[in-house]
Amino acid sequence: MEFDSNSIQTSNTYIMKKLIFCLLGWLVLSPQSTDAFCGFYVARADAKLVNHQSEVILVRDGQRTVITMSSDFQGDVKDFAMVVPVPVVLKEKDIRIANQLLFDRLEAYSGPRIVEYYDQNPCYADRHYSALPSMSMSRAETLDMVIMENAEELGVTIEASYTIGEYDILILSAKESTGLKTWLVQNGYQIPKQAEEVLDPYIRNNLKFFVVKVNLEEMEALGFQNLRPIQMEFESDRFMLPLRLGMANAEHAQDMVVYAFTRSGRIEATNYRTVKVPTNRDIPLFVQQDFGRFYKDVFDRSYEREQRKAVFLEYAWDVSPRANMKCDPCVTDPPVLADFKEAGADWVSGYGPDSDVFFTRLRVRYTRDKFPQDLLFQVTPNRENFQARYVTRHPAKGDLSCAEGGRYINDLTRRRQKEVDELASLAGWRSADYNNYIYEFMPQEWIPNFRERRNEVLPLWLKERFPNAPHWLLAIAAIVGLLAMGVIAKRFLKPTA
Amino acid sequence: MIRTFLRLFNDPRVLQLSILGSLLVYGLVALNWSAELWRWTAFAIPALLTQWMGNQLTGARGYKSAWITIFGLCLLLYASSWWVAALCAILSIGVKFVIRADGKHFFNPSNFGIVVVILLTGEAWISPGQWGSGAFWIFAIGGGAMLTTIKVKRLSTAIAFIATLFFLESIRTVFYLGWGFDVLVHQFASGALLLFTFFMITDPVTTPRHHVARIVWAAGVAVLAFALTHWVYLYTAPIYALIILSPLTPLINRWFPAEKFLWNSTQIQFKPQTLIS
Repeated sequence: MEFDSNSIQTSNTYIMKKLIFCLLGWLVLSPQSTDAFCGFYVARADAKLVNHQSEVILVRDGQRTVITMSSDFQGDVKDFAMVVPVPVVLKEKDIRIANQLLFDRLEAYSGPRIVEYYDQNPCYADRHYSALPSMSMSRAETLDMVIMENAEELGVTIEASYTIGEYDILILSAKESTGLKTWLVQNGYQIPKQAEEVLDPYIRNNLKFFVVKVNLEEMEALGFQNLRPIQMEFESDRFMLPLRLGMANAEHAQDMVVYAFTRSGRIEATNYRTVKVPTNRDIPLFVQQDFGRFYKDVFDRSYEREQRKAVFLEYAWDVSPRANMKCDPCVTDPPVLADFKEAGADWVSGYGPDSDVFFTRLRVRYTRDKFPQDLLFQVTPNRENFQARYVTRHPAKGDLSCAEGGRYINDLTRRRQKEVDELASLAGWRSADYNNYIYEFMPQEWIPNFRERRNEVLPLWLKERFPNAPHWLLAIAAIVGLLAMGVIAKRFLKPTA
Repeated sequence: MIRTFLRLFNDPRVLQLSILGSLLVYGLVALNWSAELWRWTAFAIPALLTQWMGNQLTGARGYKSAWITIFGLCLLLYASSWWVAALCAILSIGVKFVIRADGKHFFNPSNFGIVVVILLTGEAWISPGQWGSGAFWIFAIGGGAMLTTIKVKRLSTAIAFIATLFFLESIRTVFYLGWGFDVLVHQFASGALLLFTFFMITDPVTTPRHHVARIVWAAGVAVLAFALTHWVYLYTAPIYALIILSPLTPLINRWFPAEKFLWNSTQIQFKPQTLIS
């Protein structure tokens, strides 16, 4: 259990400022819904939608890339082995050990969040606040590996070898895949069968292999229980993440969360669609109790809706030290200078415009069949803020027996009906019990008059089975219409003479 | 009345406009693009004003080409602020009146505007991934409809470009690097590439007139795009390749003379008098 301490200290002036800001947001009519970013209390969904997920921090500044990898390896560290294709032979100073806490902080800060609003009692003014527990989970990860021999006979060149922290690191280049595969297998690296086929392309593409195992003695001497993230830095024109080597098989989906820092703006995939997760939706109050599961279902549905082949944007924000509003509401404290430095965004050193930095968080759930190509990224000048944010509203407290109160109850019931519909379309949660929530405040005798039937253009079963059906029908109709127009134009407008 | 309406389609630019428009609708409804009205307005108004000024100064007529440019920009270019979009629109339309050879512009308008604004301001970008790989059939149908209507051997430009690129990519990706065919298919299902193939490089005014010369030229664009993709790591290489090779068009036209292309020429149009009868 943890509380958002800032929110508890909320003073009246703060609330006033916030309300004024909200009003301004309405008036200015900015491109994105600024007005929506006003709320007081938050909870967040944990990044771990699945048991196995990798997390990567990417920093891109010109040609320079810093990659920090946190694997969720679970098990005996001596079994850990990792092979990462890299574009250049890394020097010892370009490889560092990072702190796992950095991942935890970034994850907590940028995660999907729930926000609460409190309705005013229409019969008398009263504000009531309470803090909401946020969900968190522990993480555990570890790594491991083995020994190497007769590399040269196999056409494998050990370009460099370092011991850094608890890791023994080798950088290999290879002439052909069979030798490399043999070498890796001899040295205890298990290459997934599906991954073997990509060794050749990587070798031909002049990539080197960054090979990591755990040095058990060093680890004991250092006294760490878990394996810490590895960070590497290099200059390259290519801004990409090699996915294929780690892919197990077509059906088995793997999750990866990417936290990226750039000077100019968002990063996005260039060879897959980058799609925003649903955000700023009003959801029922009771979802607060189960927000982690809710977001997992929201993500699963979005993933299916995009035919499993999109990259999802979960967070994008200007986190420059000089920028005032880092988030609204903040789940945890925004990253500080030390965090940027640790992540490798070393240009962030003060409060001037030179230290501007933009934070993007992407989630990729990839399978072999839908992600045939490695992920290529580009840095864009897009500084539009985005957060996965879900809104809950507490009903007014106290006596609602005045005339205004009656109207309020009607509005509240209608609003809750919409929230329940939203819940069904977002997360697929449906239950007859939700009626109790909808009609919670409505006297029994009002209910029959209140229930209204809505008109649906498409039958509900179709919409439920294919949420995108209306879109597709529209698109198909447009194309058919165009074709028909073309055909008619040709038929009837031919010169008759 | 229907005939009056259909007669609009005598000019292939009208069909092109409606296809570009429906691609935009497709993006909005099926791909959930956000409707950035401010950006579209920032493209449309300056573009139309520039076209109007150009028309006044040179005696040219019509706004259809300007609208095609506007739709192309809406589909391709993102900008971080409205002035960048406006600048791009002005450059795109302006270049038609300013940079000319032999009485004809040779830079593809939206191509020129996009490249100059990206390089000059750094505040604009193309999202090559925004179409995903599912848009393939939409493009194939739209592009096919477009090209069959234009006829006039323009299909050859698109085919020469895409076939050359496909040939080079398949040699590199499949036969040299050893990736599976799915990687190749994924590369070519890119909506941005298909948009370029069907709607940018096929522009009859800014491509060489001579049939064979045009095919060779389109293949040249493909070769350059291939080189830029793999040696400079430009993800939107075709657009850069086109702007680099565009100045060759007037030269090629001089070396290989052929009939000048007119949008309303009898090559593509049904005779109005037969319609009225």
